Amino acid sequence: MTPDVFLFWFLALTTVLAALGVIISANPIYSVLSLVMTMVGVAAIFVTLGAYFLAGVQLIVYAGAVLVLFVMVLMLFDLKHEIHAFTRGPVTGAIKIAAVGLLGGMIVGAIALSANSLMKTENNGIQTVIEGDSTKALGKLLFSQYLFGFEALGVLLLVVAVGAVALARAKGGTHAQH
Amino acid sequence: MLSTDLFTQIGLGHYLVLSALLFCCGMAGVLLRRNAIVLLMSIELMLNAVNVSFVAFSRYLGQQEGQIMVFFVMTIAAAEAAVGLALAVSIFKRFREVNIRYFEHLKG
Amino acid sequence: MGRDSFEIIVNGVKMIVIFLMMVQVVPILVWLERRGSAFIQNRFGPNRVGPLGLLQLLADAVKFLTKEEFFPEKGIKFLYYAAPVSALIPATLAFLAIPLGAPIKLDTFEMFGQTWGPYTFLIQGYEIGVGIVFILAVSSLAAYTILMAGWGSGNKYALLGALRASSQTISYELAMGLSIVGVILLYGTFNLTDMVTSQQGPLSFLFQGHTVTLGWLPNWGIFYQPLAALIFYAAAFAESNRLPFDLAEGEAELVAGFHVEYGGFKFNLFFIGEYGHCLVASALMVTFFFGGYQIPLITPDEMLVHVQGLMGAGNAAAIVNGLLHHVVFLIKMAVFVWIFIQVRWTLPRFRYDQLMDLGWKTMLPWALANTILTAALIYVAHT
Repeated sequence: MTPDVFLFWFLALTTVLAALGVIISANPIYSVLSLVMTMVGVAAIFVTLGAYFLAGVQLIVYAGAVLVLFVMVLMLFDLKHEIHAFTRGPVTGAIKIAAVGLLGGMIVGAIALSANSLMKTENNGIQTVIEGDSTKALGKLLFSQYLFGFEALGVLLLVVAVGAVALARAKGGTHAQH
Repeated sequence: MLSTDLFTQIGLGHYLVLSALLFCCGMAGVLLRRNAIVLLMSIELMLNAVNVSFVAFSRYLGQQEGQIMVFFVMTIAAAEAAVGLALAVSIFKRFREVNIRYFEHLKG
Repeated sequence: MGRDSFEIIVNGVKMIVIFLMMVQVVPILVWLERRGSAFIQNRFGPNRVGPLGLLQLLADAVKFLTKEEFFPEKGIKFLYYAAPVSALIPATLAFLAIPLGAPIKLDTFEMFGQTWGPYTFLIQGYEIGVGIVFILAVSSLAAYTILMAGWGSGNKYALLGALRASSQTISYELAMGLSIVGVILLYGTFNLTDMVTSQQGPLSFLFQGHTVTLGWLPNWGIFYQPLAALIFYAAAFAESNRLPFDLAEGEAELVAGFHVEYGGFKFNLFFIGEYGHCLVASALMVTFFFGGYQIPLITPDEMLVHVQGLMGAGNAAAIVNGLLHHVVFLIKMAVFVWIFIQVRWTLPRFRYDQLMDLGWKTMLPWALANTILTAALIYVAHT
């Protein structure tokens, strides 16, 4: 077993377990801490895939900013007792879990069936697995071919920032009573 | 079919299955949980699962576009989280509760 | 022994040594802080135990270790105990990625009856292509230890302090990140070693095809990016929750902030984490703006020639050269750590709204302006 293989299984296991922790733990604080763990695991998986810059951005954006907001909001709410953490009724819950299992089985089955063709593309196709530091190439691509998307996202972020502030500052929330 | 190669040869398929598992976790969270903030977190989880498969494809097909898409997904996820949390805060101000069970007034 | 396992062992040893160095420096800093504050306030400070009070550190350590171990009644066990342990992690990981000295290039030599090949020893935990992004990423994880401590203590003051601290951290991270963008534009790389290398020798740069050289100034980043240096250093104060930004532990309002419920060695771990952030910030300041481990006006290679002139060519000269640069780095870092201490004992604390105003309405726009200005200047200079 080479270090790479060990690393993959270790990270995959940690990430999936942490993701399960998000949906299983009844206390939302533990949910969000598990989600942090998942994000760190995903960042590490990005590293094993050679996307170093993305791994850093993943940590900065998700773990460093978005999830801190989640934690802070949850702590400020201070939900003492989480009643009805899960969906109502054992029957609907079972149906939903079954639906998720079915979807998961279908996706995994589809991947397993198409594994041969996927491997083929890898072996003969367009090829060249990206090695080493690809950050510069990434930047060039982002600021040339995908410039419009980049700018559009900038506008989106501005709108969202203004909107979020307006929403959170509104006195009566969304249901203001005048 | 099930040989040791499955465990010692890590390929694209492994990453895709991992991504599918994460996605299903997120989906189960959205379906099963009733806390609005946990719902938002589950959505983030699904977006992350998609990111993993994007990066895996980008790596194994030797194309950078996948990583660009991850950037876009991340930005949109951050935007979504910001608006979602703002909504959650205003809902909490009104109902003192973020469990979706308590604001079903819009149900027809 | 294969090449790979040799590298793994060397890197593992380096990590442990650098971690121990970081932890061992903290007691000295505490002594420096107490003596320094006493000096600033015209007092004596600790001067009873040992010469100059130096053994006070040992006495403190014994005191910390023998304190009563307690757990707050309404606390959450797991979070309460996990927080101080994880407080050390971000600073340590960030510190490992910083180049601390010139790489030592060793020729083939005989040892233990074996020939060891030419080897370049980096005085750095690990070299990462995207060094800056990595450091920003791991140091952004510091917010969680604070939040875990605040929530796990089950105490209102602790929670308020933690919320203040983490919102302050993420607010100032923006200004910090944006001020670094100017630096990244200037050097055109994320790699910290490359940054240090491009700051060697006297000040010289290309401007519209002409090379401008000022022989009496070192080629340091501070001369290109003075505003970025100022913003970065100020944001670093806020990031490490030091005065004048230590709103998180404002004694008059919050008792002691997120570590009210911590005593003894658990408190000490938070303390070490805080000083670790100071050390990382100072080291980054040196790396970005003050030439890293380089001796002013002399490149490491020229210095190596001088050292070889004194000691004769060979591996010994290379090692001495590497250590010399390491000492230079430590001296530069010490200057910034001292500024951290001096500022703490001279400036009063901000009010919370002033703090947020400074971060969002002053430093962020200035950092943005600096980025745009740098980009424009680089464009003009290269046409």
